[in-house]
Amino acid sequence: MKRAQIALATLLVVVTAALAEDDFSKRLADYMKLRKTATSQVGMPKSATSMEVIKQREQNLAKEIRTARANAKKGDVFTTAIAGEFRRLLAVTMSGAEALAIRKSLKASSPVQPQALRVNWAYPERLPLQSTPPSLLLNLPPLPQGLQYRIVGHDLILLDSEANLIVDFISNAVPVT
Amino acid sequence: MKRLVLFLVLITATAAELKLPMKDKSVRFAVIGDNGTGLPPQFEVAKEMIKDHGSFPFDFVIMMGDNIYGSQRPDDYKRKFEEPYQPLLDAGVKFYASLGNHDDPNQRLYKPFNMDGKRYYSFTKGNVEFFALDSNYMDAAQLDWLKKALSGSKATWKICYFHHPMYSHGSDHGADVDMRKEVEPLFLENHVNVVISGHEHSYERLKPQKGIAYFVLGNSGQLRPHNLKPSSETEKGFDTDQGFGLVEVTGNDMYFQVISRTGQTVDYVVLHADSSNLSSVEPSR
Repeated sequence: MKRAQIALATLLVVVTAALAEDDFSKRLADYMKLRKTATSQVGMPKSATSMEVIKQREQNLAKEIRTARANAKKGDVFTTAIAGEFRRLLAVTMSGAEALAIRKSLKASSPVQPQALRVNWAYPERLPLQSTPPSLLLNLPPLPQGLQYRIVGHDLILLDSEANLIVDFISNAVPVT
Repeated sequence: MKRLVLFLVLITATAAELKLPMKDKSVRFAVIGDNGTGLPPQFEVAKEMIKDHGSFPFDFVIMMGDNIYGSQRPDDYKRKFEEPYQPLLDAGVKFYASLGNHDDPNQRLYKPFNMDGKRYYSFTKGNVEFFALDSNYMDAAQLDWLKKALSGSKATWKICYFHHPMYSHGSDHGADVDMRKEVEPLFLENHVNVVISGHEHSYERLKPQKGIAYFVLGNSGQLRPHNLKPSSETEKGFDTDQGFGLVEVTGNDMYFQVISRTGQTVDYVVLHADSSNLSSVEPSR
């Protein structure tokens, strides 16, 4: 490939990545706006002596968000272009200098077996949360407080950890070892 | 009659032989990890802790995560936490939890875990500052917080605790080397003395790594028998029964005793914090 072609290809990757990240930020902001309204409906205790109060609040928050996103479907946050950019970021991270450490970390953190996932579903109550390796997190776009990237099988989930709700997910996003 | 006999046996049962010096105004605490099963071994470990609290009145307990296994309904918090440790809770002993991979992230709101609504937090007792981290999700925000919190600490003893071990020779999980890569430089830069983790369902004390003492204690409810594959980095290991730790800090000395479910001393070590805050280890006695 000639030098000009390489430069053009690199530029395309950079522009595509920037556009995808910008769109992702906007979609996250939309979700957080909706979530703020839902949170104001259910209140937010700093802490409670009874887990009953905490679980009730979690379920109420999830219910409010589900109602507000009644038509939410897979790909609403992780659009095709955004999912493509995430796949690229994950592939680059997991084939670079940090690859071995990340794979060892994934193995050490009790991998979670693949599950049937759906947007707006609760994260399964009895299913452990596999830790997400720090190097992966540091190479993905940062998230607002309360949202987390989690791995289930090879899928990457966007989890609302306060509502225990699956906001969106990308199937087979994490490269197979 | 049978009930009476059992009662007599229980009240005459002796606590473990404690080696801790019980010095005036020392910081005293217990360590548990991977405890929340709600099964008999957890209750038996708790019973041993309660007995030892009689002779070594520790003020608080630090938890290495997997505080509640399986179902996370309100009843589970009673059966897997409140009931086994009720006498300690009644005696005013506080529990400071960190989150494991089996824990509901909203445990941070559960008042008896004293997390103040946070995934990661710090607290100070005497000349010891504790940093409870969330190793499930070590993101940039947590790393930034940790850097600031550690560099601002004036404590003689800086103890970090969290679920996934950075050094471990358990054959089920092993060390989380990616976390080590990101977190260890912060520990070294800020003179952390002691790191305690769980996740492996056994006990291991490692030889100090770059001047930091590492303990893995994840057998206060769970147990994976014969799971430990000691290496040259292992100083002491125990994987045939459940257990917990009792710790006393006085001045520049830390006394760390590990006791099994049946009250046997599994390990005992004395650490010294020197002028640069790094610890040296005195052989077990």
